[in-house]
Amino acid sequence: MKNLPRLRLIQGAGVVAVFAVALAVPALAPDPATTNIAVFTMMYIGLATAWNIMGGYTGYISLGHAGFFGFGAYALGLLLTHLKIAGGYEPFLLVPVAGLLTAVLALGIGWFALRTRAATFVIVTIAFMFMLQLLAENLVGLTGGGAGLSFPSPTWSGDFFNTPYYYAMFLLAAVGLGASWLIRNSKFGLGLLAIRDDEDKALAVGVPTGAFKLTAFVISATLVGMIGGVYGYYVTYIYPQFVVDPLIGISMVLMVFLGGLGTLSGPVLGALILEPSQLWLAYNYGASKLYLVFYAAVFLIVILLLPRGIIPSALELLERWRTRSGPAAPAPAAPSTPSTPVKAVTP
Amino acid sequence: MRRPITAAMAGLGLALVACGGSGGTATTSPGTPITIGVSVSLSGDFSGDGKALEQGYDLWAEDINRNGGLLGHQVTMKYVDDASSTQQVVTNYQNLITVDKVALVFGPFSSLLTIPASTVVARYGYAFPEPAGGGPSVFNRGLTNLFFVQPAAVEDNLVSYTQFLLGLPADQRPASVAYATQDDPFTQPQVDKAKSLLEAAGMKTAYYKVYPAETTDFTPIALQVASSNADAVILGTQLPDALAFVQTFIQQHYNPKTIIETTGPDQGSQFSGPLGANTEGIMVPAGWTANATAYGNDTFVREFIAKYGGAAADISGDSAEAYSVGQVVDQAATKAGSIDNAKLIAAMHSGTYETIQGPMSFDSTGKPQGGVGVYIEQWQGGQAMFVYPASVAAAKPEYPKNNWQ
Amino acid sequence: MTLVLEAAVLGILTGGVYALMASGLTLIFGVMRIINVGHGALVVLGAYLSFAIWRALNIDPFLTLVITMPVMFGIGLVLEVVFIRPLKTDREALSVLVTYAIALGIEGLLGFFFTSNYVQLRAWYANASFPIGSFHVTYVYVYGFVLCLAILAAIFVMLYRTTFGASIRATMLNRTAAQLIGIDVDRVSAIAFGIGMATAAAGGVVFGITNAFNPGSHYDLISRLLTIIVLGGLGSLRGAIIAALVMLVSEDITSVLISPVWASFVFFVILVLVLLVRPQGLYGVRVRDRL
Repeated sequence: MKNLPRLRLIQGAGVVAVFAVALAVPALAPDPATTNIAVFTMMYIGLATAWNIMGGYTGYISLGHAGFFGFGAYALGLLLTHLKIAGGYEPFLLVPVAGLLTAVLALGIGWFALRTRAATFVIVTIAFMFMLQLLAENLVGLTGGGAGLSFPSPTWSGDFFNTPYYYAMFLLAAVGLGASWLIRNSKFGLGLLAIRDDEDKALAVGVPTGAFKLTAFVISATLVGMIGGVYGYYVTYIYPQFVVDPLIGISMVLMVFLGGLGTLSGPVLGALILEPSQLWLAYNYGASKLYLVFYAAVFLIVILLLPRGIIPSALELLERWRTRSGPAAPAPAAPSTPSTPVKAVTP
Repeated sequence: MRRPITAAMAGLGLALVACGGSGGTATTSPGTPITIGVSVSLSGDFSGDGKALEQGYDLWAEDINRNGGLLGHQVTMKYVDDASSTQQVVTNYQNLITVDKVALVFGPFSSLLTIPASTVVARYGYAFPEPAGGGPSVFNRGLTNLFFVQPAAVEDNLVSYTQFLLGLPADQRPASVAYATQDDPFTQPQVDKAKSLLEAAGMKTAYYKVYPAETTDFTPIALQVASSNADAVILGTQLPDALAFVQTFIQQHYNPKTIIETTGPDQGSQFSGPLGANTEGIMVPAGWTANATAYGNDTFVREFIAKYGGAAADISGDSAEAYSVGQVVDQAATKAGSIDNAKLIAAMHSGTYETIQGPMSFDSTGKPQGGVGVYIEQWQGGQAMFVYPASVAAAKPEYPKNNWQ
Repeated sequence: MTLVLEAAVLGILTGGVYALMASGLTLIFGVMRIINVGHGALVVLGAYLSFAIWRALNIDPFLTLVITMPVMFGIGLVLEVVFIRPLKTDREALSVLVTYAIALGIEGLLGFFFTSNYVQLRAWYANASFPIGSFHVTYVYVYGFVLCLAILAAIFVMLYRTTFGASIRATMLNRTAAQLIGIDVDRVSAIAFGIGMATAAAGGVVFGITNAFNPGSHYDLISRLLTIIVLGGLGSLRGAIIAALVMLVSEDITSVLISPVWASFVFFVILVLVLLVRPQGLYGVRVRDRL
């Protein structure tokens, strides 16, 4: 216990260090191939963190978040088209507006979906995602339908192009992490965790479960929507089935589970491991059909061996090592990524 | 499910890439071997045509290497999978250009992936010959490095067919036409243009529907087409729906005088396998058939069968397109005297190129031009052949088509 | 009007196939409380197995079931024991990920062995049809429908007339209580999963005859199957069947009356409307579950 202030200091230093490195990535590795991977990785860090706010804290697993991702992309695209904004830095300023629109949508969908629980909730979120995809495809006058929607393209050079997008994604991921940390350390967060443990008891004790769940859902969806907007801008052209894509939705879930559901750094770790390796694997081995099999195998091994995710399992190991060494053992080196994971409570 | 004519583009693009060097990153000294990078959809939604395209490219690479290489450079093809995903295709081209430093690139195998890929490639000044993106939105993005290697822009694919119908004697012309098309940037523009041309000439529209590309059960739509009793049916399909519509027509004993589908009947054995003798009389717009007489085609067919086996009728149009791409690149490089990307781009904007799909040239936005046009191919007696216009026809068009068996 | 009737008949016939596939899915959920998002891929696997046998032996596609159903049953047992049984914590959530991984793996293997070309099972009588009024009903659809009815009836008989069926129902009602009275829930789970796989094989044959398919076809399938079982009520066999029929008939009628564009949308709208009134689905039981 007396090592706590030192632990906190180490953790804090760790956070700052990671932050600084992340900020410097475009300077450290300016070649476009790397910054491209960095953009997508940072995107998934943000997505996983945002998803975790709902799935990790409340225990409501949403497999339809890709719908919000796509909605945010279309929202930003349509704003840019109708307001006739050219490529450059201005479109980034409209990202929060796309987020706001996504929030309104999430309010509606969330109110409805949260009337259900557990497995039904999962499937309802999937249904809403497909509905959004169908709307994007069929409201041709609005979205362009199957022909897709164009984003204005900035005239930056090939070598610099990726950098502003990286920082935009970084900003969104930072906001997400900040929100996640704030929620975790607040009464709101406590209420969410109570909902995850046993919703009916939480309700009985006076936690406003309905309002809390909806709030978490909306926050989670808004972040995902904004990230979707930046994504659409980055790839410059979107189609309904690529931007409302179940694979994106399931990837963010997998990353959270890999890293550790409900932890702060778990989603970050999961994204850091999975996204670059997936892009690299597809590039180097994708041409062989066995790529999917390999991916699935990795998937399965991870889930079966580390069902609680890396961070909680690692911490558990650390804990066991610490207590085995006896009470006089020095404080273990703080994990390199800062986190105060919630110990998994009874399943 | 999107099977644009990417092979040709890809082949061309690859050849160009191989020849032209890069717009900045890679420089090639004479005689060195070069790599051509292509992003292929080998998994995911668009994985169908990949193999046919690869076969076409590989055959071209083999041929050109045997003849001394592309302007003296031996060609190696590098294929990367984009899993039919936008993310991956963007990553792939950035990697191919900046990491692998390929000399040239070709377009991806799907029109949907072509557009995001084209902006990436343009940033680096590479030429972007592509076989798949021919819809209107491809050409209005202000890019000058893009070339759609096909005999005509996508929306003109059915123009020959409308000319055929309108050229029939008045008492034989179809009384009405039914249209059904996917909401797809490849199929819908063609069908819509055909419809406007035919309506302007006075042909009645008995039915017109656009259905989502993601539809899995086409039977209800096919039933509606059948119940319209139209004499002519124009379908904007890819392979699965092409098959489904025909099968429903057979089951419902609905035999229109003429049927044309935008893709499907040009896919060789994938079409004739499920339908057997019932391919008889079905038409498809095509720039190429196995027995066409364009530049080098008989050699191509012979070599293809020797290398991959099968029969001439089994060869998919995609392989021919891939091969044509290679041919254009080869000729452009010879004309420009270099495989530098910038020089190739300049060269390709002018002149005519001889390919197994016929002669081709491109306007300033990369659209194919010159009215070469796309012809009508029809299945007769288990073989697909050009039937219109008469200048390329190997047989007279079968009209009205025979009844189902 | 006849068009609507045609659409309704078509909806019922294809609804039968979906009912069969959905019944396996809902059974698996009821017994094991897991969402098998790989079910679509397993149906496609069944279709490909039938395809391979049909191509090699040149027999009637329906006859391939004699081989594929037991084989798929066995595969189901293996999958359950190896991948699902080890899941102890966060079962429902993790099962989604595990079964999705299985689906991806199957898609990859199928793509490797069969390539991504579209294929279809063809019976020599595939396009034969008989007239009803002014339109024709295709024989294969009817045979497929009859097959589905037969298998569903067999499942019902098994569930309600055999002791083993009673153990399944007991496990579905309350897993812990079933264990307490001596039922080997692990064995019941494995066999239920196997049965689910066998129904997937049968569904696969009918699906493979009436649709062109390739390894990527499972995505469309699973989204519809999931919607159907939620509409019917998770774990309810009766609900799955009725939901499948309702869904397919509405979809086909919408396609004909309004537009194909909104047909699949109707699918989901119906789900949303029903859940608004009955969050547990048509025949579901209202349980206060937590993940």
